[in-house]
Amino acid sequence: MPRLIMLAALAVFLCVGGFWQPQDPDAVDMLARHSGMTASHPLGTDHLGRDLLSRIMAGGWRTACVILSVGAIGFVFGTLLGTAAAVLGGWRETVILRFCEFFVMVPTLIVALTAAAIFGLSPLSAGLALGLAGIGPHALLAHSLSQRVLGRPFILAARSLGVSPLRMIARHLLPNTLPLMFAYVGNQAGLAAVAYASLAFIGLGADPSKPDWGSMLFEYRMFIFDHPMLMIWPGVAIALVTVLLNGFFDNGRA
Amino acid sequence: MRLVRFGMQSIAGLLAVSLASFSVITLMPADPVAIAIRLWSLPATDDTVAALRAQWGLDQPLPLRYLHWLADFLGGDWGRSFRTGEPVLVEFAERLPVSLSLGLAGLALAIVLAIPLGFFSAAYPAGVVDRMNRALSVFVQAVPAFWLGLVVLFVLGVQLRWIRPFANDWTAIVLPVLLIALHSVAVLSRVYRRDLKETAGQPHFRTALAKGLSDKQALWRHGHRSALYALSSAVRSEAGWVIGSTATMEILFGLAGISQFLVQSIAARDQMVLQAYVMVIAIWMLVMNAGANLAMRLLDPRLA
Repeated sequence: MPRLIMLAALAVFLCVGGFWQPQDPDAVDMLARHSGMTASHPLGTDHLGRDLLSRIMAGGWRTACVILSVGAIGFVFGTLLGTAAAVLGGWRETVILRFCEFFVMVPTLIVALTAAAIFGLSPLSAGLALGLAGIGPHALLAHSLSQRVLGRPFILAARSLGVSPLRMIARHLLPNTLPLMFAYVGNQAGLAAVAYASLAFIGLGADPSKPDWGSMLFEYRMFIFDHPMLMIWPGVAIALVTVLLNGFFDNGRA
Repeated sequence: MRLVRFGMQSIAGLLAVSLASFSVITLMPADPVAIAIRLWSLPATDDTVAALRAQWGLDQPLPLRYLHWLADFLGGDWGRSFRTGEPVLVEFAERLPVSLSLGLAGLALAIVLAIPLGFFSAAYPAGVVDRMNRALSVFVQAVPAFWLGLVVLFVLGVQLRWIRPFANDWTAIVLPVLLIALHSVAVLSRVYRRDLKETAGQPHFRTALAKGLSDKQALWRHGHRSALYALSSAVRSEAGWVIGSTATMEILFGLAGISQFLVQSIAARDQMVLQAYVMVIAIWMLVMNAGANLAMRLLDPRLA
């Protein structure tokens, strides 16, 4: 339960960050450069006097968009493809599985890197690319889970009772595979947060005026001598999101 | 026979990757002629545009252009970089050793460290090594390698003053390799440990214990081989992860590798560089896959 509360708190923080920040995250205030932690700037300001907390909140919303789209795309299409492969069987199963295995071979980050290079790095393009690249593993997992369930006796019983195929999938198959799929999606979403931060850090096609945790780390790495706290906070934010996501979904699996 | 089949599959995979990346990159919303004219300050007359289009074969249909590109690529003509004007192959040949040695050294170090780590956490469950190992695997999942690198630079360079941060000396090679290895060590040692534990539950392991071997002897003599097999199979997916870490490390430590070159080039919409980069990564994945498969075949004679 405490994990659920912490995850909810994180979600609220990330969502609020999209619409309201204590200060304008792009407002330059040269008089307040590198102010330490003060009442008006809880996490201090950067080399241009921009409020760090506001920038982290704005970046958090962008990270949340990536996590959500990666999770949604991977989950929906992966479950759909994997379940379809297991239910259909035959050559269609082989085609779907071969396709997915091929996609698993291409590194996720490289797919996202290429997308960022072509379309520029935004939460939308990164989320789409990372999500599409995540369909392969999700589908393979959904397939192996579905196959295990399909071999169980109650499926045979349902089939001999004359349950229609769609009802079979909705009532008997998915309820048994979805909980495990959710756990996997949660873990993958945590990895997506790290991957998005890595992409922004690399800076390929990124818009430097938009605050992202990764690009903030790249920008602030020069202040490692004088103002190390600038590079601590975005990193803490990334780690917190990943730990909370992984912790929550790993627990849900047990 | 299987070797032939594996070769065919690999080549088919490479072709599929090249076709997919070529179509996506070609369809990208940027006209190379417009870029060239801007970058090289050419007169933007209709004649120049038409001449460039004809010279680069842009007036031909897509399948023809792909075949043309494929023939050039195989013949060693990887096109020219818009930004530097040098042939892409030359640029890559200069930078590839840096990226390659980073990735290979990181992966090799990870494999070497993962075996003792996994072995001792399997031999002493819930012992110090096992708990450290578990903590490490949670830690590396949550903390991106580049941030860890920044923190290490801060602690070693700023607090302790043992090294100079962002200096171009030996630390800029050793630290990235260590950081790249760290993630893979955690993953690989978990795989190795899990397979050892699985072996320990099997009948032939009980027989080995009954013969009078100690736990550790039995694990090493009867479990190591199959655990190494599982580890080789995990190396295949780790190889992809290593590429990503290598890219961030090149940026963080300012190493002149291919990822850094890509980042510098992409602002100029350097399509040929992007295409070559994708192909190099695909070949790297293919070689790692083949190497892992070879190791697995040597470890399990039933496969040969």
